[in-house]
Amino acid sequence: MDKNALSRRTFLQLFAAVSTSGFLAGCGGGAASSDSGTAADAAAGEDFTITFAQGADPRGLDPAYADDGESAQVWTQIYENLLQYADDSCEVVPGLADLPEVSDDGLTYTFKVKEGITFHDGTPFNADAARQSIARQLEPDRTEDMAYAGFTFGSEAEGNGIESIEAPDDTTLVIHMRAASTPFLANLAMCMASPIVAPTAFETAIETPVGTGPYKFVSWTKGDNIVLERNEDYWNPENAGKAKQIVFRFIAEAAPRVTALTNGEVDIINGIDEAVVGTVTDGGCVIDARDGMNINYMAFRTDQGVCADPAVRIALSKAINVPELVESLYGEYGTYANSIMPLWMAPYDEDVVQTQYDPEAAATELADLGVKSVKCITYSNPRPYNGKGGQVLAEAIQGYLTKAGVEMTIDTYDWTTYRTKIETETFDICFYGWSGDNGDPDNFMNLLSDANVSMNVARYDNPEYKKLISDGLQTPTGADRDEIYHQLEQINAAEQVWLPISHSQQLVGVRPEVTGYNLHPSSIVFLRGTTKA
Amino acid sequence: MLKYVAKRALQAIPVLLGLSVVVFLIMRVFSPDPAPVVLGEHATREAMDAWRDAYGLNDPIVMQYLDFLLGILHGDLGESYYTHTPVMTEIMARFPATVELSVVAILVASVCGITLGVVAAVNKNSFIDGFATALSLAGVSMPIFWLGVMLIILFAGVWHVLPSGGRIDPLMAPRGGTGLFLVDTLVQGDLKAFADAARHIVLPALALSMYSMAIICRMTRSSMLETLGEDYVRTARAKGLPQGKVTRRHALRNAMLPVTTVIGLQFGSLLGGAMLTETVFAWPGIGKYVVDCILKSDFPVVQGAVMLIGIIFVVINLVVDLIYARLDPRITYGKEEG
Repeated sequence: MDKNALSRRTFLQLFAAVSTSGFLAGCGGGAASSDSGTAADAAAGEDFTITFAQGADPRGLDPAYADDGESAQVWTQIYENLLQYADDSCEVVPGLADLPEVSDDGLTYTFKVKEGITFHDGTPFNADAARQSIARQLEPDRTEDMAYAGFTFGSEAEGNGIESIEAPDDTTLVIHMRAASTPFLANLAMCMASPIVAPTAFETAIETPVGTGPYKFVSWTKGDNIVLERNEDYWNPENAGKAKQIVFRFIAEAAPRVTALTNGEVDIINGIDEAVVGTVTDGGCVIDARDGMNINYMAFRTDQGVCADPAVRIALSKAINVPELVESLYGEYGTYANSIMPLWMAPYDEDVVQTQYDPEAAATELADLGVKSVKCITYSNPRPYNGKGGQVLAEAIQGYLTKAGVEMTIDTYDWTTYRTKIETETFDICFYGWSGDNGDPDNFMNLLSDANVSMNVARYDNPEYKKLISDGLQTPTGADRDEIYHQLEQINAAEQVWLPISHSQQLVGVRPEVTGYNLHPSSIVFLRGTTKA
Repeated sequence: MLKYVAKRALQAIPVLLGLSVVVFLIMRVFSPDPAPVVLGEHATREAMDAWRDAYGLNDPIVMQYLDFLLGILHGDLGESYYTHTPVMTEIMARFPATVELSVVAILVASVCGITLGVVAAVNKNSFIDGFATALSLAGVSMPIFWLGVMLIILFAGVWHVLPSGGRIDPLMAPRGGTGLFLVDTLVQGDLKAFADAARHIVLPALALSMYSMAIICRMTRSSMLETLGEDYVRTARAKGLPQGKVTRRHALRNAMLPVTTVIGLQFGSLLGGAMLTETVFAWPGIGKYVVDCILKSDFPVVQGAVMLIGIIFVVINLVVDLIYARLDPRITYGKEEG
């Protein structure tokens, strides 16, 4: 018994000692921010660290196999593309290659790749390395889980994209196309699929990426953080990384992410909406808001039900005061969408004429058309183009339609389920949105001609529209092409297939001492120029 | 005792088999199709069909289940649909974080719960007893999610004395070792990193321990009250032993029997169920990961993680039973039980 009693006492003492020491160590730490990479370090001219917090782990770090924003946010600091976007727009500028020579028929692109560049593991970058990085995503080597390969590089079945790719010498890359495609160069600058991965890392890049960019991969602690370090041998001094290290932290919930910012644990956060703006600014930090490349819309189902009749769609649209709705739901961080494309992308759409709010006319016309109820499906989660979530938006519109004498039933699903329901359910109205990929107007407007109903949720099928989409694909950038997309916008407005609602701004929260990052319209925050004052 | 352990291990087989059926059916029947999520917004129907074929999701459900079982028997839980990494690798990358948090939380819960429970029982109907009751009630009633957010707001958002989440400053994280940062930093002699890791674990451990502490406190109090009324305790007092000695040596030891069971079960729950705490505190453990994977219909990961949690429960139950017998010599194994 004595022996047992002694061991129990020892055991309890050990319990107490360990737990107390942990708590004392924890509470005695003083300031909450870590010792590494503080503003004071930067001010003193020492190397500093930038910590960026986002909502989730990357799915993977090989651009061929992942399509989520969290992955792209990390790998865009590591990889580079043959072509890239200008700092403040989606204009295509040289990257690892100069702008290509394009044959008169638009079918052959000849790139001159830059010399003297090496991947982070020392492998030389040349035309053949670029060829391999792209060729692995072409048919027949393409696998189903290469999410963006079809969109970026085309497919044989669709009769578009890359037919063949060759590297006749170290500095020349030649791409032969199946059909002329004006958006193709914008695709090559995209953060998905196109970043060039070292051929030595094809098998491992999903966990340990190797690129040519200003930052090198160091470590990935799953569910917690990724650490990058500055590439001291970076080829382009103008774009070299300023911070010695970049740390990505993954904090799922927005509120703790904001607290981590105001507590000095992280320097920049993304994935926030207007609900936390006050908390960020009250905590002494700054909100940076820039126009996003997105559209939040309501789609009418055009192939069946009451909304197959354009007159019904227009009458329903008249019942909804969209500017008022946007103002009340999204405040200053969402702008009323007079067109599908944001105006910064397509300034020529300023004069598109949408259906105007006219509740009396709506009520009369809907009564005449015999429309008393509509069925709506929507999503519950916040989306990049709709921070309030689809249900809140649907309920707001339900209020307008009730006033016009139409009962709207709402079925709400989580986003994953909703993606399936949108294909299988019967509905009259659904809520959806789009975040642009490449800044090209085709990327927005072709959704209404897509055969895939998960893209063309309205099931719109208009030969004239499709013809214009086809023309737009092959017309070189310029006034003629702008006119085509302007016509497409006007067709949608006239037939009211989609009711455009809003373009949301993208927000980041930033410590006041942090500057020099680039919040790009593509939603990526480029960190190479980030400094601490 | 070995025979008893072997018998319990055999009894665990139908339990785990049942668990595998339940988790498999729930994931397959009630979870959304993973193909659109995995393949992204540009995926065609044909691509999604081909993907389902490649992962056997178009096979009859019984065949899918048998494949899953066969994989388990070969130690292969498959690979994550999203990361293409073996499930076991994904789980083991996160498991040490959950173990570390659970161990610290159960230590805090046990020390505080037992102490408070004993003091409350010895001072029945006093102010301290009322305080313990109120604290226990609060611990059981307060949602962990809410408590976690409140702790973050106070300690990180207002007072700025503790970090709001994470395990350690990533640049101080120990490389290699057990994956238990408190242990690894100590073993490597990096006291600065140890202090940082300790500061990071304070709030999540506190939040996570509240519920268990409340349960342990209540169990200790009622068990102590019962024991303090026993004849042998009265005899001990009559012999003239000091009250402290009576409480510690005669009452506490016997009162600990049910408390040990509760601690064991609570530890099992913490290991498998720290999902909310891990999410709020961005603690990179298995609970948060499983929640993410459920939402993404990452079947292999969820199935693998649930099976692992099931095995942990079975093992902990067994360990608790063995400890129980160690504490109470009257309990024996095998035939003598009856």
